[in-house]
Amino acid sequence: MASTHHHDDAHDHQKDYIKVIMWLLIFTFLTVVAALDWIPASWGDYGNKLHIGIGLLIAFMKAAMVVYIFMHIKFDHKFIRLFIGIPLFLFSVMVFAFTALESFY
Amino acid sequence: MSGLSLSHEPVTGVPHGKLAMWGFLASEIMFFSGFFGAFIVLRNSNLDVFSASAAELNKWLALVNTVVLIGSSLTMALSILQLQKGNVKLFRLFMGLTILCGLIFLVVKTVEYSGKFHHVLDEHEIMHLRNGVPPNPDALLPGINPSTNVFFAFYFLMTGFHAIHVVAGLIPMVFMFFKSFTKGGYNHPVKVEALGLYWHFVDLVWIFLFPILYLIFPAH
Repeated sequence: MASTHHHDDAHDHQKDYIKVIMWLLIFTFLTVVAALDWIPASWGDYGNKLHIGIGLLIAFMKAAMVVYIFMHIKFDHKFIRLFIGIPLFLFSVMVFAFTALESFY
Repeated sequence: MSGLSLSHEPVTGVPHGKLAMWGFLASEIMFFSGFFGAFIVLRNSNLDVFSASAAELNKWLALVNTVVLIGSSLTMALSILQLQKGNVKLFRLFMGLTILCGLIFLVVKTVEYSGKFHHVLDEHEIMHLRNGVPPNPDALLPGINPSTNVFFAFYFLMTGFHAIHVVAGLIPMVFMFFKSFTKGGYNHPVKVEALGLYWHFVDLVWIFLFPILYLIFPAH
């Protein structure tokens, strides 16, 4: 079983954090670029869905990095994964379900 | 097998403070889920109003705030590391930077809000944001405000609650920062860790608010 105290390998955490912040900034840049008006208007509704899909996908990837590394889910006991994983899972189901509902309007 | 001990939970090994914070954050996810769910459903049935309204938002200010908040998550994580290592000076430096980032976030948010409150709607905007209904001239806030339309009601509600969370996080941070200068110092890494979890969660909410409010609307 993984130990829950990681005071010894503190230096490695620092490296992890720097890596994560670089990726978060890259993804932030990508999400802004993706929101620019680059999709041809002829794609119509599919273009809008692509905008939303890319925006949400990047947001969930950023969130996963924050939860996994900054919030130490990767290093803490698995019990916490379950604890926070269930509400997060329900949240993502809700977001994608409600977004998918759009096609019924 | 030994008897059940209630004083210590041997299975998780997670300090109680951190576990309690995770429980609180789980409830916070549900709190914000209500807003997000209602926002998405209303967006689907009012797409034109939502698109026109989102076009009024300043996404560059929001981008600045995104970078500031992500940066503060990094400095928060680093300040925890430094306190665990017993390096008080660096703990102070990173905690101070986190507080600074939180304050910058609030200042940018204030600029954004006051820009909206002072933005007088023209004919074209009244048509697209309010379906042609002119705003009440006697209103307390003459510009764009929560009563402008359903998009802005959600915009102010969600970003407002988020800003309250930022303020709530800053209060214990300021306490820890100044306590570290006193004779006794501040040596409770677990408490800072629990606060760190909360702060990362505040960052997390913004990571979703940024695209959902500012970015994902069709060009108008």
